[in-house]
Amino acid sequence: MSQGDTVPLHPSSQSDIDEIENLINESIQSGPGTVLAARPPSPTRPSIPVSSSPFMQSNLPPLPPSSSAQKVTPVPVPPPLPVVSNSSNSQGGSQGIGASGFGSPPNTLTEPVWDTVKRDLSRIVSNLKLVVFPNPYREDPGKALRDWDLWGPFFFIVFLGLTLSWSASVKKSEVFAVAFALLAAGAVILTLNVLLLGGHIIFFQSLSLLGYCLFPLDVGAVICMLKDNVILKMVVVSVTLAWSSWAAYPFMSSAVNPRRKALALYPVFLMYVSVGFLIIAIN
Amino acid sequence: MDPNQIQAPIENYANPKTCLFHVLFKGAALAFYILSALFFNSFVIIFVVTVLLAALDFWVVKNVSGRILVGLRWWNEINDLGESVWKFESLDQESLSRMNKKDSWLFWWTLYLAAAAWFILGVFSLIRFQADYLLVVGVCLSLNVANIIGFTKCKKDAKKQFQQFASQTIASRFQSTVQSAFTLV
Repeated sequence: MSQGDTVPLHPSSQSDIDEIENLINESIQSGPGTVLAARPPSPTRPSIPVSSSPFMQSNLPPLPPSSSAQKVTPVPVPPPLPVVSNSSNSQGGSQGIGASGFGSPPNTLTEPVWDTVKRDLSRIVSNLKLVVFPNPYREDPGKALRDWDLWGPFFFIVFLGLTLSWSASVKKSEVFAVAFALLAAGAVILTLNVLLLGGHIIFFQSLSLLGYCLFPLDVGAVICMLKDNVILKMVVVSVTLAWSSWAAYPFMSSAVNPRRKALALYPVFLMYVSVGFLIIAIN
Repeated sequence: MDPNQIQAPIENYANPKTCLFHVLFKGAALAFYILSALFFNSFVIIFVVTVLLAALDFWVVKNVSGRILVGLRWWNEINDLGESVWKFESLDQESLSRMNKKDSWLFWWTLYLAAAAWFILGVFSLIRFQADYLLVVGVCLSLNVANIIGFTKCKKDAKKQFQQFASQTIASRFQSTVQSAFTLV
């Protein structure tokens, strides 16, 4: 105890007052911008390669600012392509890229249009490679086609229909309509089949998968269109059919109970066989 | 100069190019579908071109004009548990209120009108028992409806976010005021 001193403020109470002032100031300043906020672009803002989609679905990590600071880059599905820097950025690095701070997370609202286009195109390519070509992520199908999109399947179905229609010498319109309707309705029905068997698959993801698995058949149809030899056609169709079924197998089989695997896979195989026959039979 | 001419100009479209594209593909798809019967005999061409235009329109509305004209965006994600989650994104409230009124009016009304037009065309083809044209109309209509639903949900979500945020701010300020009142007493 000191005598004769003027009583200074107790050090802890001085800091308390400072704290309170800081709190008041903070709450005033943190007003706008702590909620999913995006400012319209300032001229110098770098473009932010965040994924999003059209038909395409983005895998932009959730935006609430409270998580943006804590969210870290490790992401379950790094795309296997070193070339596709856009998608790898978009997976988790986007949270850090271009963010001006805790209060304004990067987002897809203010990016230039060209970025969106590029991102979506790269997504199609990466999805194609994931589904149809061998890669280490095939065994974990739930994660492999995480970023489903419907543009790829749309192009493949239309392309197959056009190829078949071109190869047909008569009734071109009917051939196209039949091919398109068969493939589209078939994909929907196959997905419903899996869901009804008690499988766990997401509707659009499965549609996307079945569409991408048509890629080998597309290639087969083009080859058959160019060369009209029946033996060649049969060989090409069987090879591409096997390839398509191989591509679809892990996704479909992992979605259902193991005892029902055959029930889920057989219709898929049947659909591809019927498309194969359509390719062979067209002349 | 006539003083009347110096008054504030009527608000014009803030993003004329975007508005143009927003309307362009929709109009082109509808026009092509309606007029093609006069020029093309081939169903294939009609189908492919119409559906392609409709798909392009879907993409433009979802990714470009939605962002620029009304500041909204929606998409779907699959989270770690394998469930599908719908995500919405919107500009903060002050930017939203600064959005051009004409732009957003155009955006919403053309969306609704296009969907209504496709629906009517669908009824026509149903009456005429043209199943293949019904297919085309069905595809285009579902694309339009998907956009309408997505953006409407996004707008509602934005309003909810704003209300939540407003009540949070009020609560936190109230709290800090009470704190300061108690410690200073």
